Amino acid sequence: MLLADELFLIAHDDTTGRPRLHLRAAELGLAGALLGELLLYGRIAVHGGRLTVVDRRPPDDALAHTVLDQVIAEPQYRAVRIWLAFLAGQAVDAVGQRLERAGRVTRTQRRWGRVVRYVPVDMSTAAWPGHRLRLFLTRGEPMTVTDTLLAGLVSATGLTSQVLWDAPASSHEYLASLIAALPPPLRELVAHLQAAVGDAVLSHRT
Amino acid sequence: MLSTTRVSNVSLTLSRSRLGVPAVVFFVMSAAAPLTVIAGAVTTAYAVTGITAIPIAFLAVAAVLGLFSVGYVAMARHITNAGAFYTYVAHGLGKPAGVAASLVAVLAYNALQVALYGGLGVAAAGLAGGPWWAWALGAWAFVALLGVLRVDLNGRVLAVLLVAEIVVVLVYDAAALAHPAGGRISLATLSPAGLAQPGIGAALVLAITGFIGFEAAAVFSEETRNPRRTVPVATYLAVALIAVLYAGSSWALSVATGADRVVEVARRDGTETIFNLAAAHLGPTVVHVGHVLFLTSLLAALLSFHNAVARYLFALGREQVLPAALGRTGRRTGAPTVASLAQSALALAVIAAYAAGGLDPLVQLFFWVGMTGGFGALALITVTSVAVVGFFARRRHRRETAWHTVVAPGLAAGLLAVILALAVANFATLLGVPPDDPLRWMLPAAYLVAAAAGVAWALVLRVRRPDIYRAIGLGANAVVGRVEPAELHP
Repeated sequence: MLLADELFLIAHDDTTGRPRLHLRAAELGLAGALLGELLLYGRIAVHGGRLTVVDRRPPDDALAHTVLDQVIAEPQYRAVRIWLAFLAGQAVDAVGQRLERAGRVTRTQRRWGRVVRYVPVDMSTAAWPGHRLRLFLTRGEPMTVTDTLLAGLVSATGLTSQVLWDAPASSHEYLASLIAALPPPLRELVAHLQAAVGDAVLSHRT
Repeated sequence: MLSTTRVSNVSLTLSRSRLGVPAVVFFVMSAAAPLTVIAGAVTTAYAVTGITAIPIAFLAVAAVLGLFSVGYVAMARHITNAGAFYTYVAHGLGKPAGVAASLVAVLAYNALQVALYGGLGVAAAGLAGGPWWAWALGAWAFVALLGVLRVDLNGRVLAVLLVAEIVVVLVYDAAALAHPAGGRISLATLSPAGLAQPGIGAALVLAITGFIGFEAAAVFSEETRNPRRTVPVATYLAVALIAVLYAGSSWALSVATGADRVVEVARRDGTETIFNLAAAHLGPTVVHVGHVLFLTSLLAALLSFHNAVARYLFALGREQVLPAALGRTGRRTGAPTVASLAQSALALAVIAAYAAGGLDPLVQLFFWVGMTGGFGALALITVTSVAVVGFFARRRHRRETAWHTVVAPGLAAGLLAVILALAVANFATLLGVPPDDPLRWMLPAAYLVAAAAGVAWALVLRVRRPDIYRAIGLGANAVVGRVEPAELHP
């Protein structure tokens, strides 16, 4: 499964598809995951808060392809934060629909009301990304760069308590040390996501 | 699927949800809570301080804050986390001063919030009976719950309540002016000569307190359609609207009672003053509506200041200047949960202490603590004005004129310093205590203690945690370092 798919599954209940994360953080987090996929595909680079396209060849995945096309089409915008804010607007539905095409979720819509849910087809598949992170983090085992980035996105959006609900403090420390050791562009993406989520809290109108 | 088109999708999408001037002004004004200030603070101020120059004090303070806002909104364009005064101080006067300002702000905004529980308790008990603290605790539970759950009070509901409050105030004012004491409308309390009255510092602190919240427009710098225009216009408009409303209403009150009797009437009737005056001419329905709106106004103000404190604590938690736990949010709610709970815990302790100690909730909680909060905000605004000058002195900005960067903020700083000095000199008058009462020094000195602790803590951080020290004043962006506002919105 791709990065954003796994973050989506962690951010939603494995049986009902109900959100486990407040909407703005989920939107920004999935936007970050889509940029993370382009980083992992080697299509973009991130440095000093700005992203650059380093390889214009379309990635295999259709959604990643579309996101890359958009980044290429608007060279006047290079700030990571602007792309997070922009992609946030559609990320939840875009990733939910990708999961649906892969047959991992079914889209449901109540007859009254506009609430759309992406209900996992198989509970254990849906629960696997979260379980996997939890296993690695509690055992202190080495993790792949992709999994570490996923854990970083989980942490930046505030989902850590979902994954490590009763884990000992040592696994939180291990998570922090893994994020700190990420390759700089990925670490920067995680940091910008965390800042964007924090800013959303501060400018929330109450 | 995402789509690509010729037009810039990015700027189109990001400008769609942006706020215009009315939305920002409404937000700012609902924090200002007109009836809370007029029915609660103004009448209590007449009673406690014995000063009649309150209307002219509102106008004088509005002029100074208007001048202050010139530099404030100019600097907001160049920094992130622009809604918090300590951010300005950290950028303009250095990080130790910034941490000092942040602790002063936490203290002042907490004082402003907690004080309102006294006002609400007294107002509700006066209408429905029972002990004041029971009502205060009810309101506390409501605010604490909404703070953690972040159940948004619908913006439209708040807007309707605000408009209703303003209408009621205007109707009361009209009735007061239609029935002046002695049959003659006197401009005595609007006379600039009143500013030379002994103890005027007390009236000026009250006036500043009424305006607190005007600074909040800058919180939305990154969400407005055109930050260069929306935030300044909303800020000036809010200051002007508040000035006209508060100066006009406190003047109308003095017209209805007679300038020479306003203190006496306010001492006798307390927070019922404007309602009793209205009852004489308008009949019971309008008074009932006013009473209900007074309570909703107090609740809205309580919630607004609660959220302001939570925002401050959250930002400081994200910077790790205060414990990082304060930067945590509720997973499902997105509320700054720990910061919100911390504020609620403090408020509960204060309510409990006042109830257990049998202290006066109106004078000793609502007025003393509230005015002490207003005094702290005055000190913050003064230092912020100096910080604006300092900030622009160190960075050249072709797009900002000398009027924005030096002249207006410099003048404002000078005038605010005079007000601050008057406030310290007249603190006994403000509290209504004898000049030798130790409280008149203890309450303002609390801010010196907070500021000193802030400077000391900043110096400790500089040595022990230089990574944290570097990010002081950046709020949620502390994790990435300084970000130009242009990097956050197209």
